[in-house]
Amino acid sequence: MARTKLYTGIYVALFVIATMQVGIEQIGLLEESYVLALALITAFSVIKAVIVAGYFQHLVWEPRSLTYVMMLGFVGFLALTVAASYSIQ
Amino acid sequence: MTDETQPRTDGGTATALPGDSHDDGSHLPPRWSIKRWLITTNHKDVGILYIVTAMFFLVFGGMLALLIRAQMWAPRAPGEGILSAMAYNQAVSLHGLIMVFWFLSPIATGFGNYIVPLQIGAEDLAFPRLNALSYWLYLASGLMVFASFFQGSTFAGGWTLYAPLNIPAFMPSIGATTTVFAIVTFCASVTVGGVNFITTIHRMRAPGLTMRSLPLFTWSWLLTVWMMLLAFAALLAACMILLSDRLLGTTYFAMTTDGGSVLWTHLFWFFGHPEVYIVFFPALGAMAEIFQTFSGNRIVGRKWFIVSMVLVALQSFIVWMHHMFLTSINLEVKTLFMATTIGISLPFDLMVFALIYTLIKGRIRWDTPMLYAFGALVLFIVGGITGVFLGAVVLDYEFRGTYWVVAHFHYVMVSGATALIGALFYWFPKITGKTYNEFLGKVSFAVFFTGFNLLYFPMFLAWGTPRRVFAYRPEYLVWHRIASVGAVILGISFLLIIYNLTKSLISGDDAAANPWPYSTTAEWAVSSPPPLENFPGTPSYASGALEFLGSDDDGSGAAAATDGGHATEHEEVHVDHASVWPFVTGVFSFVTVIGLSGLQVGSYPAGLEGLFYQATSVVGVVGLISAISAMGYENFTAHEGGFGETWPFGGVENTKMGMWVFLASDVVLFGAFIGASIFLRVAYGWTNWHPVPHNPIPGLVNTYLLLSSSFSVILALVAAKKHSRKGIVASLVITFVLGLGFLVNKGIEWLELFHEGVWLDSGVRASTYFLTTGLHMGHVIAGLLITAYLIWRAWNGAYSEGSGETLEYFGLYWHFVDIVWLFLFPLFYIV
Ligand SMILES: [Cu+2]
Repeated sequence: MARTKLYTGIYVALFVIATMQVGIEQIGLLEESYVLALALITAFSVIKAVIVAGYFQHLVWEPRSLTYVMMLGFVGFLALTVAASYSIQ
Repeated sequence: MTDETQPRTDGGTATALPGDSHDDGSHLPPRWSIKRWLITTNHKDVGILYIVTAMFFLVFGGMLALLIRAQMWAPRAPGEGILSAMAYNQAVSLHGLIMVFWFLSPIATGFGNYIVPLQIGAEDLAFPRLNALSYWLYLASGLMVFASFFQGSTFAGGWTLYAPLNIPAFMPSIGATTTVFAIVTFCASVTVGGVNFITTIHRMRAPGLTMRSLPLFTWSWLLTVWMMLLAFAALLAACMILLSDRLLGTTYFAMTTDGGSVLWTHLFWFFGHPEVYIVFFPALGAMAEIFQTFSGNRIVGRKWFIVSMVLVALQSFIVWMHHMFLTSINLEVKTLFMATTIGISLPFDLMVFALIYTLIKGRIRWDTPMLYAFGALVLFIVGGITGVFLGAVVLDYEFRGTYWVVAHFHYVMVSGATALIGALFYWFPKITGKTYNEFLGKVSFAVFFTGFNLLYFPMFLAWGTPRRVFAYRPEYLVWHRIASVGAVILGISFLLIIYNLTKSLISGDDAAANPWPYSTTAEWAVSSPPPLENFPGTPSYASGALEFLGSDDDGSGAAAATDGGHATEHEEVHVDHASVWPFVTGVFSFVTVIGLSGLQVGSYPAGLEGLFYQATSVVGVVGLISAISAMGYENFTAHEGGFGETWPFGGVENTKMGMWVFLASDVVLFGAFIGASIFLRVAYGWTNWHPVPHNPIPGLVNTYLLLSSSFSVILALVAAKKHSRKGIVASLVITFVLGLGFLVNKGIEWLELFHEGVWLDSGVRASTYFLTTGLHMGHVIAGLLITAYLIWRAWNGAYSEGSGETLEYFGLYWHFVDIVWLFLFPLFYIV
């Protein structure tokens, strides 16, 4: 099982990224530069999610249409959240 | 676009099938047996159940409408007239809810069930038991609505359930809670159905039946179920949050919550506008089919008609704020949504013109279905034009909340109903094998059309009447009187329709396989009604026209038996058509909801009443879990997909595809919860808001636990590939332990917060934290229950000897739960 190695590597990477997210908070970046810290933390979450979906849920090896189905749901979430939050600015 | 691209049946030559010899060894009792209807999973049976039940709710909703019109006979003060003020509020609210949720969508679902598999050349849906489950959940939800009237009072705050009127402070009755539960149950029914139809229509089309050549009704239904899948997930989220406010005491929609009431309108209308098309699209598809058949003419600009439908389906998700022009949202966003609203009317113009030109070019036969379909088009045009007024911000300031709105949406919604009644006449011979009375049908249309316009048109003239109240200025008296008379006439037309169809069912002439000249879709190529397995052979469009390949030619092997009973003869796969568990699940859903409805802001009522509700809750939950487990354990063989056209999901097995489609709806569900938290935080002041847990470290530990459990599921799959029973069991046990660790860690964190006095009702920060991570916890618990089941099955060698597919599909779910946490963790613990 050649992929077992790949899965293990990914698992370690996910561990590290999660730790880095808390690290950002621990070094006080949120107080120093809130927007930068928020952007970093969000980006890390997105990266982790993409990795899990791509490899653990093996979307990279499936027909692309399945990815688009999930994107459809995600775009719906973004549209609702962004437009609603903007509407009360 | 030549005629060759359009699949044509061979116009009813394939009529040699026995119509009613259904008892072919599939363990399905005959049609006159009640038992058959409780256990059937056949799409045609389920379709009939849907249609009959929906007609029943039409009568129910119609009676409420007549009560409303009776009250409106004269302008009244509270206490006058036949309804008390509260009774009137209930009648108005439930009339709307019942017509939209329990009549319009379900009757369309009935046609979708009966007709769509026939049109695409499938022998049944991808997941027949889930199809039956959709129906039983629908019926259970409808019965919850009935029950709600007897629990103090049903919901009385309008069909839009606006906040803060919907919270216990203003709407304390248990019946109101049951109504919200009924909507939640209906959402579950719709989601299950959506997953089923999406999988079926994409993956179970006959060879040669490409998306381009898909019949228009099937196209409209496909887009409907896609919209349903995503829109109803948002409604589900909204109603779950509302239930949490009502049952547990969170404060999302409380008066004191900044943005609380606007949040409700966002969530509701994000669902609500697509819902307009969810209701209207099947009607549009039926209209197109009827126009084609009765004009003998293919629809003009077929390709552009389809493109327009796809565009509308997509655009329907970006216009919702036109329902919110009178809320506190800013002018920029109002302008933006006015523009998108104008944008969505453009493809509709194209479709309307296509329909009109189809009629102009053809030679029309005015049979009853055509009369209704044409009437629907006329009414829809009136409804559409009057809606433009409401889409303009400035005009909406004037018209909002008046009878203009009432008149407009009845012209749109009831025009949809008109087309669906046309569909009822159109497909009646196919479904029943009987011919309806044509003369009586035409009379019913004349009465219907007269009653409709007498009822709704005066509402435009009396538009200054505020909606939802029964007081109005005396100069509107004559218009409201005419409307009330029209309501009675419209009601009579429904009695005529029901009488006609019932009488014809009992003593009508037998219908031919294809009673309509120029019909083109596949349902007319088989007998009326079609046999249990639908087709005399394997349907194929590979040659350009519909053919039924004999079972000898059937070398594909992917399709299961077409003649269920003779499996031994041909060594074909036996396919099941019956299961009692969907019905049982429906029953216990009802019991569960009645029990839980007694919960009010964290506690049950005192005394015997509380005891009843608690006992019912326990019985319901235990029964529900048992029924679902039994369904999971039951051996049930369904038709597999992939025997014909599968674009764009070739190579994705049915169950896997179903799982992914379900997860897409779950993305919207969680998305709406997360979106609600973000929205409320923005309303609160983003940076004034601090995480509820004091310390992110327990959250980080939980992240580690979940990531590890995801990894161990991967290891279980690897072990399954090596056929190692021990490996599978060990990996699953590790997954279970890690998941349990997650719950324990979370439990400790919650208990600590409770000790400090932080409770679900300690303000909106605590509410969003507890409820959103609580929903996630619910997903973890469900996952652990499945894991326990999988461990037991794996121990018995289920996945080491057979295939590990079940493990793989569970993995998809579990990783998804993991992904959600990856977003919840920073949102609720760090930033
Ligand atoms: Cu709308």
